[in-house]
Amino acid sequence: MISSGMFGIDDMLGGGIPEGSRVLYSLDPGVDGQLFMISTLFSVLEKGQSCLAIIPHTTVDAFLHDVGQLRGKTIQAKDHRIAFLDSVDRERIQRSTTTREAAEREWQARINKLCTDNKVEVIFGYFDIIYEDFGLEKGLKLLSRDCCPPDSTIIIEHLNFEGDTFLESLGVRKTFDLILAIKSSFRPLPHFNYFTILYTSWSAQLRRSVPFLVRNGHIVPYIPKIVVTGPPESGKSRFVASATELGMSVDQSGLVGEATTVAMDFGWLHWQDFDITLYGTPGQPRFDPMLPVILNNAMGVVLLVDATNRDQLARARHLYKIITRRHVPLVVAANKKDLPGLMSEEEIRKGIGTGKNVPVFLISAHQKDDVRAVLESLVNSITRFIY
Amino acid sequence: MYSYKTGIPQIDQATGGFDAGTNLLILAPSLSCAEDLAYSLTRPLHGEYAVMLSTNERASEVIDQFKAAGADKQFVGVIDAITKSSTPTVADTGRFMFVTNPTDLTGIGIKFSQMIETIFDGTFSGKETGLFPPPIRFCINSVSTLLMYRKLEVLYQFLHVMTAKLKKVEGFGVYILNSEAFDEKTVSLIKQLMTIVIEIKVERSDNYFRVMGIRGVNADWHKFTVSKGQVVIAL
Repeated sequence: MISSGMFGIDDMLGGGIPEGSRVLYSLDPGVDGQLFMISTLFSVLEKGQSCLAIIPHTTVDAFLHDVGQLRGKTIQAKDHRIAFLDSVDRERIQRSTTTREAAEREWQARINKLCTDNKVEVIFGYFDIIYEDFGLEKGLKLLSRDCCPPDSTIIIEHLNFEGDTFLESLGVRKTFDLILAIKSSFRPLPHFNYFTILYTSWSAQLRRSVPFLVRNGHIVPYIPKIVVTGPPESGKSRFVASATELGMSVDQSGLVGEATTVAMDFGWLHWQDFDITLYGTPGQPRFDPMLPVILNNAMGVVLLVDATNRDQLARARHLYKIITRRHVPLVVAANKKDLPGLMSEEEIRKGIGTGKNVPVFLISAHQKDDVRAVLESLVNSITRFIY
Repeated sequence: MYSYKTGIPQIDQATGGFDAGTNLLILAPSLSCAEDLAYSLTRPLHGEYAVMLSTNERASEVIDQFKAAGADKQFVGVIDAITKSSTPTVADTGRFMFVTNPTDLTGIGIKFSQMIETIFDGTFSGKETGLFPPPIRFCINSVSTLLMYRKLEVLYQFLHVMTAKLKKVEGFGVYILNSEAFDEKTVSLIKQLMTIVIEIKVERSDNYFRVMGIRGVNADWHKFTVSKGQVVIAL
């Protein structure tokens, strides 16, 4: 396996990219996604494998400088085995050939020679200019095993103006072993970037979408907001505290000495290579005007109920209705499973009015494992959600 | 919705300024005042920002032009597609970003998004006025040069994305296209992406413009000059 060089993504791919695969990183215009291919490039170079970088949009010097700026690390001739075909080569080919066929043959010859001379194992190619010069079929052929060494791995970055239909057609034709689309959206947040694993030839996993951040030269999958809500005293603050590594609550002591949340709980965790931020709402109905504000831009919601308190189910049902209007992934966590008077899952489902499609977990918010199981389920739903 | 003042009385009086999301094409022959007009239309007014994608001038020259037009350079960002080809090690800053050449539409798109994101974050100038969404004037100088590097179909798709993004961020886009260098099909395709077209002609060294696409503004030719960023119409 070749590591993609990105936190979390190797796991989603079942350990990485199988050697000999053909991979497409498709970038929507304007999405800050150049680090995807560069991360894989570094991973391969650091493993000591020999690479060819086909960069017809730029010069070698400018590319190396850009890579250094993006990654915070440089590619060194003494440490790394890499050969290039760049924009200067493209101009030379254009000047020295008179027909498209001749230019194609020249590209093919140069790729072959560089691969043979340098015993290239992995080829990295920027496709959109090759596509423009030779068309889709011939362009793809240049970056295929027809022209490259038969056992080589081929990683392609493409600026995709043609949208999802183009990628779907490539998926249907099985042109690539992995298609990973990198996109942006203005919902649920402005300038929100995410990637979608559209297709893998080596596993039958479902299409997955994951938001990401670029931090210190790395792609970091993240979930900017999961909201934990529920009736009063269902254990929301405890849930957030158990789930997170860093966090705080804005609480006020109640009349009987118990603290109640009067603004929100907030917590942060880094888990399964994701950065996740949790927001807990107050449970008292008088704070309901705050709910839409806290729920705004949430990517998932945990509805917490006290599994021993039937009187709370009406309140939970009311909150459930508010959440479902948001059309975001939702998980129900029925807390206090270790206390007497526990309701059954069916009773809880009926009381809240959830369908079978909403997972219900019986948990103790004091048990970190229980809390993590709820989060795991929600993160899985979020990564399968189509934004 | 924010209105972008043009500084051209005939247009501002009739329209109250261009609506947010307007994309405007300046269609002009060589050796006309098109560039001066573009700087005048892109110059950021108080509380606004300007982003220029320059395929013809270096970032420093773009800033000089904006300064000459009376703009505060702290509110101006430049995506420079010239300098990096001769100085590959030139580094991006918050307000100056570089791509190797106009071929690199991936790089241009990313730098544009990064710059807009910085403006939205409120960290662009250090002197933010707090208007939200921040009013952004964006200019491509020029579409003609981009067409020399990429095929029409690809550039059409690219401009389609850029004009749509400008609408989404409620900006105002200005695009310069040489009217003499391209055939009718090219001009008409680019026009399709625009809301308004300002056409320029030059007669006996005098520049004239006419505006098409604004209700209430006739398409008569007006003789004009541009002085210190101000459009002056000869009466």
